[in-house]
Amino acid sequence: MSAEQVTTRRESAVTRSVSALDNFGYRLQRLPLHLVIIIICAIWIVPTLGMVINSFRSLQDMGVAGWWTTLFPPHGFTLESYKQVLAIEGVAPSILYSILITIPATVIQLSIATMGAYAFAWMKFPGRNLFFIVIVGLMVVPIQMTLIPVLQIFKALHLSGTIISVWLAHSGYGLPFEVFLLRNYLGGLPREIFESAEVDGAGHAVRFLRIAVPMTIPAIASLTIFVFLGIWNDLLVALTFLGVSAYRPFTVVITGLVTSFGGGWQFLTAAAVLQMALPLAVFIFLQRYFVRGITSGSVKG
Amino acid sequence: MDQIITAVVAVVGVPLVIFGYIIGGEQVIERLPGRLQGWARPYFWALPAVGFATIFMVYPMVRTAVISFRNSEDTDWVGFANYHYFFTFPDTLTALRNSVAWLIFYTFFAVFLGLVIAILVDRVRYESLAKIAIFLPVPISAVAASIIWKFMFDYQAPGTPQTGTLNAVLGIFHGDPVPWLLDEPVVNNGALIFVGIWTAVGFCMVIISASLKAISTEVLEAARIDGANEFQIVRLVITPLLWPTITVVGTTMLINALKTFDIVYVMTNGAYETDVIATRMFSQLQSAHYGRAAAVGVVLFIAIVPLLIVNIRRFQQQEEQR
Amino acid sequence: MAEVFGRLSSKAIALGLGTLFLVAACGGGNNGTSGSSASSTDVTVWTAWGGAELKAFKDVLAPFQSKTGIKVHITTNRDSTNQIANGIAAGTDLPDIAPGPTDPTQVKSWVSKGALKSIETALGSSFNDYISNTYAALTTAPGGATDDPYIGIIGGKHYELMVKTQVKGLIWYNKKVFTGQAPATFDDLLAINPSQYNAKSLFCAGFESGAASGWPASDQIDNIIMRQSGDQVYTSWVQGKTKFTDPAIKLGYQTFLKEVSDQAVYGGRNTALSTNFGKAGDPLFKQPAGCLFLEQATFITSFFQQDFPSLNLKAGTDFDFFAHPSVNSQFDGNVNGFYDNFSMYNDTPAARQLMQYMATKDAQQIWANDGGTLGAIKSLTYNDPVFKRAADVASGAKNLLVTAGDFMPADMQKAFWQSLLNVTRNPGSLNSELSHLDQVQAAAYTTS
Repeated sequence: MSAEQVTTRRESAVTRSVSALDNFGYRLQRLPLHLVIIIICAIWIVPTLGMVINSFRSLQDMGVAGWWTTLFPPHGFTLESYKQVLAIEGVAPSILYSILITIPATVIQLSIATMGAYAFAWMKFPGRNLFFIVIVGLMVVPIQMTLIPVLQIFKALHLSGTIISVWLAHSGYGLPFEVFLLRNYLGGLPREIFESAEVDGAGHAVRFLRIAVPMTIPAIASLTIFVFLGIWNDLLVALTFLGVSAYRPFTVVITGLVTSFGGGWQFLTAAAVLQMALPLAVFIFLQRYFVRGITSGSVKG
Repeated sequence: MDQIITAVVAVVGVPLVIFGYIIGGEQVIERLPGRLQGWARPYFWALPAVGFATIFMVYPMVRTAVISFRNSEDTDWVGFANYHYFFTFPDTLTALRNSVAWLIFYTFFAVFLGLVIAILVDRVRYESLAKIAIFLPVPISAVAASIIWKFMFDYQAPGTPQTGTLNAVLGIFHGDPVPWLLDEPVVNNGALIFVGIWTAVGFCMVIISASLKAISTEVLEAARIDGANEFQIVRLVITPLLWPTITVVGTTMLINALKTFDIVYVMTNGAYETDVIATRMFSQLQSAHYGRAAAVGVVLFIAIVPLLIVNIRRFQQQEEQR
Repeated sequence: MAEVFGRLSSKAIALGLGTLFLVAACGGGNNGTSGSSASSTDVTVWTAWGGAELKAFKDVLAPFQSKTGIKVHITTNRDSTNQIANGIAAGTDLPDIAPGPTDPTQVKSWVSKGALKSIETALGSSFNDYISNTYAALTTAPGGATDDPYIGIIGGKHYELMVKTQVKGLIWYNKKVFTGQAPATFDDLLAINPSQYNAKSLFCAGFESGAASGWPASDQIDNIIMRQSGDQVYTSWVQGKTKFTDPAIKLGYQTFLKEVSDQAVYGGRNTALSTNFGKAGDPLFKQPAGCLFLEQATFITSFFQQDFPSLNLKAGTDFDFFAHPSVNSQFDGNVNGFYDNFSMYNDTPAARQLMQYMATKDAQQIWANDGGTLGAIKSLTYNDPVFKRAADVASGAKNLLVTAGDFMPADMQKAFWQSLLNVTRNPGSLNSELSHLDQVQAAAYTTS
């Protein structure tokens, strides 16, 4: 080995051990951060974990001891609750109906809301604030008060009991919040980008579809999750507008799991786990859109 | 089968229609004379959203306001009798007190924790996993949440084995079990509000996180180069940039707090002084006292108008700044 | 950028296609209504039943569907009264058959709007058989009146078909623990010393029931008041005509409090308030026994059995009941029951056939065989010794009285149930609770 090679090797060895120490120090500094996050996550998960574990236990076990006892032998796991849920008449079609209700309703309201929010954010017109207050203020209206008039409207439109009526109803109820949130996000986009596009000859349609929408993806993605699961978990709107028709989304079907006295509630734990599964999957899937970089540079300091 | 077809048609067709509506409409609008254009365009764009909201919310709201002045059989006007009932009935006082507690604590903690968690997990590599953990309570329906928290709050007589998680933990520290949902008014309302916060933090975190990601790294780097430590960066750079989103999330949480119904209903239905405005309204609806329920709806609407005006002011600030 | 969208043709196509899709969708969507206009092949039924009750109902319907070929579409709906009220107001489709409303004002209102179709119409020629077969208390207005909205009789016509019954206010005990005689009077019951039988306390109780917490307590107090102050006072109280501060009702509360004092009830008051009613009877079967007695309705038997599958509890040998002991011998004939009923909302041939079927002995016998309930027909046979005796209690009753809370306006019911929880938790608050209930009562029964 030449002298330079030895020196280089020694230098890189020193550098590596220094950076290893640095690294360790850096990680140690970060320890509180990790601790806090992990503790909060643990507190948040524990209750749900309890239910998930209980969905694998028998009723008798649950009455005698808490869920943590299953972590030690005898574990006493059983699939009984899940079997009961999957044995309900019409449960498989009901999952399909839930999907058929949720996805179109989500698509419909997000498309309309984005368009409307763009108008509220980037166009000035008389009555803009008034419209905005009225539309968003109505978020507070208890939904029960709207049922009868909306039912009458659907009847007049010959949409009673159709799946379309449920889509429209959900859209109507969800729009105020979506317009509210998207207006905020769209309004925060930098003016310069739109102005330079306008200079390039792009009309509003292009500016909206090719600039505003792509830049709003994180907000639309996060909104999608909440809209999706609001509709997915809904019982009242489905019952009211589908009432007599043959469609039974999952939420309606699992009401039949429990007797009117509450007997059989242990099966609800399994039903709840199954019901949670799809929205959770959607959330995990949409996580990739919550990435820094898509709109990097768009919010100025 | 035809339902599937209808659904596919809707999922594909509606965006297409909107696409066509925007493009086609703009084509028409661009041909209009200048001033007319500026006037027609916003209404054209806002029409679908406003139209929907009008049909589903505005019209029923107007009808609700009308009903609030009539008796429950809808046969006669009763003036302000329903409002009088709402404001003078002793149960209402309890509900108002509790709703104010929800407004303050639920909103503050949900937003604060959402913000803190969004900022913290942004800095670790397992961010996705952490977010999933915090998000987990969000898709849980109220009925399922009541089952979950029944397991957490369960109470057995002192001296017998505890089946509830919280009381079991207390038992480890040789404490007496607490009947969480019975101890009025602080413990049980606190317990219910905590359940509310537990379900809401995931929402706040996700929305704030989306905005957090939009903050450019250059800004943060510049601040670090200037010598700011992490706490200062959070306080002086990140939070102000997130303020618009925080306001939106905060407003939403305030409205949710006012509307809180499910959790209180399935866990106690307002027993032991846990009633809130929405559960009071619901029991009026159940007894077909539509006028009184309507009055509550109107009061709620009026109550949040000031909040929305604050939001509008902030939007105007946002517009001036950009 | 702009050129792509500049082409008129592509925009036109986009707009045209999109509109076409939507029109097709609207057309396709309408096929989905399974409305029930004059159907002779399908019936829609809404019921609050789920779980084992639902299974029993399907067992009942199986012979009907195979014999007539009529398809019954069942939906479990715990909000059916509200939904139907909305449907009536909006003029939209109603289910063919669903439970009738409990609120007397709603019963009258729906009858006058023609939403409820009479049972006379539904049953046609078999109506008289139905009346003679069913417990009289469920089909006859007391005192020969023309109206009894609590059992769906308006203007002399019936609007509710009774199908199942439960008896409440039965005192359950573990036969291996309580070996003594059934006490003759209520005071005797309260005087029993549990340690004589190696039990920790006299009563078990569980009032928790989610949104409906407090109903088991109301059952207990109902059974006291009807036997203490009589059916006239009881009924007028349910109708909102007797105040809560009336001495008779106040006495009822005070007597109730004796049942739920810290000494009398297992685990003390907090346990009674926190325990779910379905688990309330568990201490009966523990060793050593936690308590001697549980006051509950006939449906509680399935809860005993499901909580202790390993013990294989048998009705009659392991557990049994005695009827609520007498409080005031003058009022012994008053028994608390509740019933499941169906009303017909759409007069279709298929709906009529289903109503007729459910009124038959064959149909209700299936319910009786599946267990856990009594039918509404007097002459059913019960294999379960406990239910056989319960049926005797029901037939022997002079007055089968409804459960008070269930037939009060909803806000009154909620206040009533919660008042029982509050006085159990804090017995000293009795007077203020009662005057509060008077206030609620004054506002609840009016129409504005």
